[in-house]
Amino acid sequence: MLDKTKATLKRRFRQSLAAMAPGLLLATGLSGCATAPPKTDAADYQAYQQQNDPIEPTNRFFYRVNDGLDTYFMKPVAQGYVHITTQGIRNHVGNFVTNIGEPARWVNFMAEGMPKDSGTAFMRFLINSTIGIGGIFDPASSFGYKETDTDFGLTLAIWGVPPGPYLYLPAFGPSGFRDVLNIPVEYFATPMEVAPESTALNDFGYAETGLHLINTRANFLAAIDQVKANALDPYATFRSLYRQSRASAIQQIYISDGNTPPDVDQQQP
Amino acid sequence: MNLRRFILGAAAAAPMLIAMAGTAQADTVSPDAAKAFITQSGKQLVGIVNSTSGTQKGQQLRQLVNQIVAVDQVGDYVLGRYVNVVTPQQHQDFQTLFHQLLSYNITYQINAYQGISFTVNGATLQGNDMVVDTTITAPGKAPADVGWAVDNIGGAPKIIDVIVAGTSLRITTRNDYASVISDNGGQVSALLTAMQKQIDKLSAAQ
Repeated sequence: MLDKTKATLKRRFRQSLAAMAPGLLLATGLSGCATAPPKTDAADYQAYQQQNDPIEPTNRFFYRVNDGLDTYFMKPVAQGYVHITTQGIRNHVGNFVTNIGEPARWVNFMAEGMPKDSGTAFMRFLINSTIGIGGIFDPASSFGYKETDTDFGLTLAIWGVPPGPYLYLPAFGPSGFRDVLNIPVEYFATPMEVAPESTALNDFGYAETGLHLINTRANFLAAIDQVKANALDPYATFRSLYRQSRASAIQQIYISDGNTPPDVDQQQP
Repeated sequence: MNLRRFILGAAAAAPMLIAMAGTAQADTVSPDAAKAFITQSGKQLVGIVNSTSGTQKGQQLRQLVNQIVAVDQVGDYVLGRYVNVVTPQQHQDFQTLFHQLLSYNITYQINAYQGISFTVNGATLQGNDMVVDTTITAPGKAPADVGWAVDNIGGAPKIIDVIVAGTSLRITTRNDYASVISDNGGQVSALLTAMQKQIDKLSAAQ
């Protein structure tokens, strides 16, 4: 059993490295840094510190790479997906993907010391996996267990880890030195990981990941087009939206668990 | 999922995407007054979006936005710390461009929102602002929760911010504009040039 677990971990680790290696190599080779203004220029220096994007040239490079991939691959695929599906189908796909993430949320909420949210995530998984037919439907919301959200990056935030500098990752998009740790955790924290390994399960995992990406991109079609059309600097706009969204998610965890949110992670976005 | 909610909400709130304002000279509005103001404004907005088309719709929307949004204060907030360093002429040029850009952005976005409906849920005090929570629905789109921050500006309630899943659209725009200025050596003139280019682009697209 232990050998099998080790083998699975090794395989997953190799897959992760294989997926990320080109991006990491590029990141190493292109590790351009933004030039900080002199401290004597107090206003500019303070703005630079608040922006907290010391490798902005590299981040902007990967933004352009991702934008190209999105324009010529993901967006056309998502448009085709929207053409052959209804909003109802896309909602069910979203429910299904959300349900697969509930066990990870349950564990993260426990680690955060949020018993109410943890119980909600557990009950949602239980109800939606059974009555909701594997998570396709969301009867748990009707029973009062509304959707909650967390991840390992937010758990670290609640433990007091600061967000750190901004990162724009190849393929993954907006992140930060703290939130990037969520990627490997999320990769392993799925119900499929505890099931016996099989080719069918692997194929299911790949299909689920692909469907998740396309369904999510389909939901973003209009809004991303609008940001790109209306923002003077879409990179800076997405950076601001990401940081505000993360800060808000932390506050929301406290509020939904019935606690008063502390003033954490409230750096200028 | 929070980011997903933001994106969906941002799309639903698109008619007001840039309709954000500053908080200068602001007093708190009572919850009932804020709800009544947003209810009335929402009905007007939905009425325009669903009943007219083309250039007429754009013109009516621009008039409505000028009535219900503190656009001048929006501009000053979005300009941020640079409001203290611009010349009077640059400030005037900025406000003119900002009004134009706001109009074009709204006209650009509103065409996709035929058939929207609007429900006012409640109002809560968040910081110094009274935020009215609403749900916006449109055919073929998931419902979106959108908050409208209302303050008393010059004796009347005005919208000063649009909040979707905890993200403030006035802060987002301020960061967008600040990035343009800082990437050009702190020159506000670069922002004015970028805004003019954006207006030209949107104008050509329409």
